[in-house]
Formats: sequence, C-alpha cells, structure tokens
Amino acid sequence: MYSRLIIPIVLLLLTACGHVEETRSARQQQATEFNQRAQRAFQRGEYQVAAAFYENALQLDVAVENVNGIAINMLNLSRVNQTLGRPALAQRYLDSLLEDKALHYPPVHLAAAAAQKSLLLLQENDAAGAQVWVDKAAAYCTADCNLSGVIDNTRANIALQANDGDKALYWSERAAAENKGAAPLEYANALRLMASARLLKNEPGTVPDLLEEALDIDKSLGLPEKIRQDLLLLAQAHEKLGHIELAAQFRDRASRIAATELK
Amino acid sequence: MKLPIYNQRLLAIEKRTQRFMLGAVVVLLLVLLMIAVKQNYFHRSTTILFFTPNAQGLSKGMAVKFIGFKVGSVEDVSMQSNATVQVQVSLDNEYVHLIGQDAKARLVKEALVGESVVEIIPGSQQVRQVSRNSVLEFERGQDASNVVENLAAQLQPILNDVHQITSGMSNPNGDFQQALKNLNQATGGFRETAKEFTQLGVSSNKAMDRINSSLGTLDQAIPKLVDKADTTLSDVQSAASDIKKITNESAAEIPSLVRNSNALVQDGQETLGGVKKSWLLNGLFPEPEEQVLPVDGYVPPKQQ
Repeated sequence: MYSRLIIPIVLLLLTACGHVEETRSARQQQATEFNQRAQRAFQRGEYQVAAAFYENALQLDVAVENVNGIAINMLNLSRVNQTLGRPALAQRYLDSLLEDKALHYPPVHLAAAAAQKSLLLLQENDAAGAQVWVDKAAAYCTADCNLSGVIDNTRANIALQANDGDKALYWSERAAAENKGAAPLEYANALRLMASARLLKNEPGTVPDLLEEALDIDKSLGLPEKIRQDLLLLAQAHEKLGHIELAAQFRDRASRIAATELK
Repeated sequence: MKLPIYNQRLLAIEKRTQRFMLGAVVVLLLVLLMIAVKQNYFHRSTTILFFTPNAQGLSKGMAVKFIGFKVGSVEDVSMQSNATVQVQVSLDNEYVHLIGQDAKARLVKEALVGESVVEIIPGSQQVRQVSRNSVLEFERGQDASNVVENLAAQLQPILNDVHQITSGMSNPNGDFQQALKNLNQATGGFRETAKEFTQLGVSSNKAMDRINSSLGTLDQAIPKLVDKADTTLSDVQSAASDIKKITNESAAEIPSLVRNSNALVQDGQETLGGVKKSWLLNGLFPEPEEQVLPVDGYVPPKQQ
C-alpha cells in the first residue's frame, strides 16, 4: 500500500527539484532596483529624486523592451510630474502610453492611464474631456482590474464640478463601498467626496463624522494637502451647523498646515 | 497454513529479496562510478613539477589556470630533503600541447581578495611542449599584503623626510629657527635705529612713529610666533611618527582583515541566495517586481 505511494512522492519531489526559476536579465533587475528606489523616494516626498530614478528604470525597460515595465514607469512618471506641478509633462507621458500603436500594453495599465488622464483634465476644468477618458478607463478596466473605486471617485469629482450633488453622492458612496478595507487612500477620497456632496446638498449633519474618518486615514498616510482639505471642509461643515468657534479652530489648523507648503 | 502455499510465499519473498539486492548492487556500482569520475580516475593527465623555497599559499587541490581557464590542479605539495618544496601539478592532457618547456608557474590571487591559483604563463611557442615530470620555473605574484607592504616601504622614506624636515624646523640651532631669530634681531635693530632717529629730532615725523609702533608690535608677536611654531612642529613630528607606527603595525593585518570580511560577506550572500532559491523556501522570497504608484482619485479644489 505505502510502497505504491513512494514512487509518485519521489517523482513529485524530483519534479519540484527540477523546477527552474524564471531568470531575469541583469538590466531588468537593475530597472527593478531603480523603480524600487524611486518608490521609496516618492514615499519620502522626494519627488525630484523619484522622477530621476523612474526615468532610469524607464530607459532600461525601453532598452530591453519590457512592455510591462515601460507602462509602469510611464504611469509613475506621469504621477510624479503631476505632483511636482507639471501637468503638461504628466499628460505627455500618459499620451505616449495611450497612443502607442507599436506596443500592446496590458489593459490594466491603460485603464490606469485613462483614469489618470481624466483626473488631469478635470484639474484643468475640462469636465467633458474628463468624462470621455473616465469612460475609456471603465472600458479598459475588465479582468484583474482594481481601479473601479478610482473610476467611481473620478465620476463623483466630475459630478461635483458640475454642481450635481446627487450624482456626486451616488458615485462617492459607491466608491466608498468598493474601497473600504481594500484601498485606504481611495476610501478617504470617497469619504471627502461624500462630505463635499452633502455640503453641496445642504445636508451637513453627518459630514463631520465622514471627515473625521477621512482625516484619520490621511494622517496615517501622511498626506498634508489632504489633511488640510479635510480640516477646511470640517470648518465649512461646522459653520453650517452653527459651531462658529469650532469652525474657526479648524480653519486655524488648516492654515498652519498650509504654511508648511508640503504636498 | 498449507505447505504448497507457504512454499509459494517463500519463493516470492526470495525473488523480491533477490531483486532488492540486485538493485542495491546497481546503486552501489553507480555511486562508485560517480566517485571515480569525480576523482578523475578516467581522466588522462600529465604531471609536471615546480620547486619553491616555501609552501606558503600553496595547497593540494588548488586550481591551475592557463590564460584564465582551469587546466589542472595541484596534486601534491611536499618538502624535499634539501628543505625546498616540490609541487606536483596535474595538467589535463588536452591542454599540454599549449604549454612549452619554458613556461612559468606563478602563484597569483584571482582578485585583490580572491582565491589563490597557480597561473601558467605561456612560454615561447617554438619550444617543445611539457612532458611528464617536466620542471617549470616558479615565481610568486603580488598579493594584497605585498602591495600594502610595498606601499608601507615606499611611505617610510617619505615619512622619514617629513620627520627630518620638522626636526630641523624645531631645532633651536637649525636654519629655520636661526632665520626667525635673525629676523627678530633685525626688527630690534630697526627699533633702535628709529629711536636714534627720534633722539636726533626727527621724532616729529609721524611716519617714523608709525614704523616704530609697528616694529614694536612685531617685536612682541615674533617670540610668540616662534613658540607656537615650535609646538606645532612638535605635534606634526609626533603625528608623523604615529602614522609610521600605525602603517607598520597594520600592514600585515589589513589584507587579512579585508580578505576575511569579504569572504564572510560573500559566504553570507551565497548562503542567503541559495536558501532563497531552494524550492522549499523560494515561495517565501518572491523576486521583486516593478511597482506602479496607485492612481489617486483626488482633485485639488480650485479656490481655497
């Protein structure tokens, strides 16, 4: 009985021993190293350094035609340049990704690029363009895509810019449900959008709770600009609720963060 | 139990035992064959020799290389009756025709802190190739400790010169000190002359007054300056002798320290690399991948 089992077990072990790890070229490893250094620099807020490392990684990925790496580093460069206040350059990176006819990038990266482009256009008050690209992002986002929360938040942002409180609330609530427990950054964004939508609809009752939760997350992620925005919205909400003194305190707290000029 | 059935079972057991024993013998033969292959029993080689005054850095099994390729190994290192060391080198037959009788064997390190190997330096092509028990000339290449020792030897005269110069400068009877003293005396002379000028009635000249006061200041400052120069030179002198002492003391230790730490780090890296790649654990150490920054669905408000 047992002797019959021995042969399959031995064969299985031999198969496991014979498993050959996929080897990566030295250049690809170097590109990964640059990308990781850039990630760390970005997390520390050293955006110039991060941009330089992402460029190095991109150069290496282009040299060995690592399609996935090219898409990743183009997206990252777009994001860094957006943070550095260079929207035109950020858009150029996205366009070269979205308009590339020669290379076929994975749809998940195209979805990310389209969503990022939509957000950039919205920042430039081009709501119509933003709508077009958010629809494209949704079309790219099919299997293995975890961007639906971002896409819903973008739609909520578009609705908010159009002063459509109901639509903004609908999309932000959807985004909050999708991102809760999965992506704290987007969940906090959704909470902030929900609060803004409720303020637009003159329903400030639950707004402080939403914003306090968003504030806690933003503090844990260390995002000064968003912390400041949470505090300003809290001030606005308390003002509407008649808590003038509390509103002034929140404004004061927000102004102290603004003085640091950190993003 | 009936006897025929019992006999049949016994026969079956006997057959199985025979098969098992046969299998064991086959495995044993295979193992012996593998050992023989590993020990180069089936390998044809030619033994050549070289002699050296001491066996330092030479050991049995050491690689023998020719233009960077391994062509054999050190077979034996033995002391001769005349207190020299005989080294037997086993060369693969396929490379023997490349090595002339006038080739040299040199003990070198592969890198600054790498392994030692015996390198065969090719001789002239026209000379007859080496044959069994041919004797090659031997020399030692420079290793890191030699380099540091040479450096120390070259530094020593420089430090001695520095020492001499500084001693000369601090010596009260030396040229430098004498020159400073002369300068001091000269300024004193100047002051005297100025005084005489004053006495002679030219003291009303403001320019001369100024010269007088400047020389007075110089007169006060120079002895202090000489004292300070003395102290500084003594410091330089003692620092120079410290450097000399440290260089001499560390010359022998630094290379081994560097070698040991390098080997330790390399071993650690290799072990970790091996552990990471082993199929039981490779799941715990995934290869790093390029990461994409998350898309941030935040749009900063226009007016705040």
